Amino acid sequence: MSELTLLVLQLGFLLLLWVFVFAIVYALRSDLFGQRVRKLQPDASAAAPVAASVFPTAGTSPGAPTAAASHPAAPASGPGGETASTENATRLVITSGQKSGAEFPLGRDEITIGRSSDSAIIIRDDYTSTHHARLMLWNGRWMIQDLDSTNGTFLNGSRVTVPTPIPLGATVKVGATTFELRR
Amino acid sequence: MTDQRTAGGVSTGTPPGGVRRIRLPQRLRNTELWLLLLASLINIGAILLVQFGTLGHVDTQVALLGVGLAVLAFGLHIAMRFVARDADPFLLPVATVLNGLGIAMIYRIDIADNEAGWESASVRQIVWSAIAIAAAIATILLIRNHRVLFRYTYLSGLVAIVLLLLPLVPGIGREESGARVWIGIGDIATFQPGEIAKIALAVFFAGYLVRNRDSLSMVGKTFLGMRFPRARDLGPLLVVWALSMAVIVFQRDLGTALLYFGLFLVMLYVATSRLSWVVLGLGLFVAGALVASQTLDYVGNRFANWLDPFNPERFDQDFGGSYQLVQGMFGLANGGLIGTGWGQGRPDITPVPQSDYIIASLGEELGLAGIFAILALYVLFVARGFRIGFAGQDDFGKLLGVGLAFVIALQVFIVVGGVTRVIPLTGLTTPFLAAGGSSLVANWIIVALLLRLSDTVRNHPRLVIEG
Repeated sequence: MSELTLLVLQLGFLLLLWVFVFAIVYALRSDLFGQRVRKLQPDASAAAPVAASVFPTAGTSPGAPTAAASHPAAPASGPGGETASTENATRLVITSGQKSGAEFPLGRDEITIGRSSDSAIIIRDDYTSTHHARLMLWNGRWMIQDLDSTNGTFLNGSRVTVPTPIPLGATVKVGATTFELRR
Repeated sequence: MTDQRTAGGVSTGTPPGGVRRIRLPQRLRNTELWLLLLASLINIGAILLVQFGTLGHVDTQVALLGVGLAVLAFGLHIAMRFVARDADPFLLPVATVLNGLGIAMIYRIDIADNEAGWESASVRQIVWSAIAIAAAIATILLIRNHRVLFRYTYLSGLVAIVLLLLPLVPGIGREESGARVWIGIGDIATFQPGEIAKIALAVFFAGYLVRNRDSLSMVGKTFLGMRFPRARDLGPLLVVWALSMAVIVFQRDLGTALLYFGLFLVMLYVATSRLSWVVLGLGLFVAGALVASQTLDYVGNRFANWLDPFNPERFDQDFGGSYQLVQGMFGLANGGLIGTGWGQGRPDITPVPQSDYIIASLGEELGLAGIFAILALYVLFVARGFRIGFAGQDDFGKLLGVGLAFVIALQVFIVVGGVTRVIPLTGLTTPFLAAGGSSLVANWIIVALLLRLSDTVRNHPRLVIEG
């Protein structure tokens, strides 16, 4: 082994070591906990027809081509409240209860609420059922569905019996906790 | 994210309930696989370069042992494909590279010392790596949810103290180079229980602080803009402090004491976000260390060596002098920017070049560029650990993640700081690199716990409201 070969090998080894370091840094760039990274453009294309139909009637869902005839619920949206959709709602904010002020990012997954530890939002108090309610997406809009809970789920003070679209800023009450969907 | 785009396209047409994000299978695991391949390439390359540099030819038998480490790491990778598919993809490759670099350097020093076979430190290190990675696989298979550990808060506290005291038990305790931190049965199987104790302590601190942090953080008198705790809340701080001081006095191990106490302080700070705890704790530790440096010979020696290593009197001293420290620095200086090359330096001149001083050995042969790459790997490892703790939902998981990551960071700081004369030199092992079975086992278990935590972080609820 000549000195030159060893020097070249040494430099090659150090280079490889740094390639490894930068490979990790490069991979980190795109993978800072993938679930929370949201891209807006696919949302825009997916929710465009919904938004177009919702906008003129300001919160009432029927009459639009995307709101199918088999829509399960009568519109329960509050006066002037725009229905929360993947396009305009980005977070769920706890407004009262133990973790008042806490936020939960809205992605594209349904969000389960209940006592059980497999729920996305776990609420452990005396009024919450194991599987209490869920927030789900219907044509890109957020709906609240009560899962036969004992004490019920309330939207703007009225008990939810069928899946109901949630207006932006409307108060949803589960047990002793209330939350709303915000931009 | 391609997977989210898919889901976005699907969501317009499917009924509710069908709107689920389609998880691209094993995307993280595939990243890990590629990094692991690169890691194995580095490890095998290191061993081959050691052979080129020292022997001038390739000895396939030992190179095969390097392949053995790669096989084990892939074993852990495959286990994770089944039981922790959403775990962090960077921890395992980083730990593998560090472990492999350590093995290469230990092997290089074995060649310099003409040691081979089962007596050599490198073969033992590979066997210990096998045991350690097997322990990591067992951990990840057995502990399916880190919250299980929360139940055993006080038990792990007890285990930690028993492990710490074991070396003091006559018969099984061993004393090596002044520190009584080893246990062994007969001449074989020496083990440093303190290394395992750091995991048990992290679990205990996390559980204890989650249970009691309100009283620790809320009450107390404000003085100089900081809220100081009540006397009765000071209890745990004083107990841990006393424990650390006992380690210094009875086991003569300054580094371990600093490690435990630092771990406790940081977890206390993270749990309560009260700077006053850190100020109080650091004050206590510095006071304790100063008293120890005045009264205990060996601590005083360390301080003197740190402040004045180039004094010929200290350098020539037979026992407890600064010979090792100075030789290590000469080695680092000899390495320069790109190092002498594997097998081209003289790291074997320094005492214990394969364990306490492996950083100096690597610095000599890989140079500043190599040392910085190694430190960057530690930074990435610790940053991932903090990230896992930061993203966790339950408070116990958060604290445990931060604690485990910090214990690695602090240990690296104590060792590298000691070798480079930033702080007084204390005997601690460099995580993953240094020769020593107990340290390897403990650190690989930490890897497994962090992997388990990161898996639950991705899978599990993101908001918990306790009524």
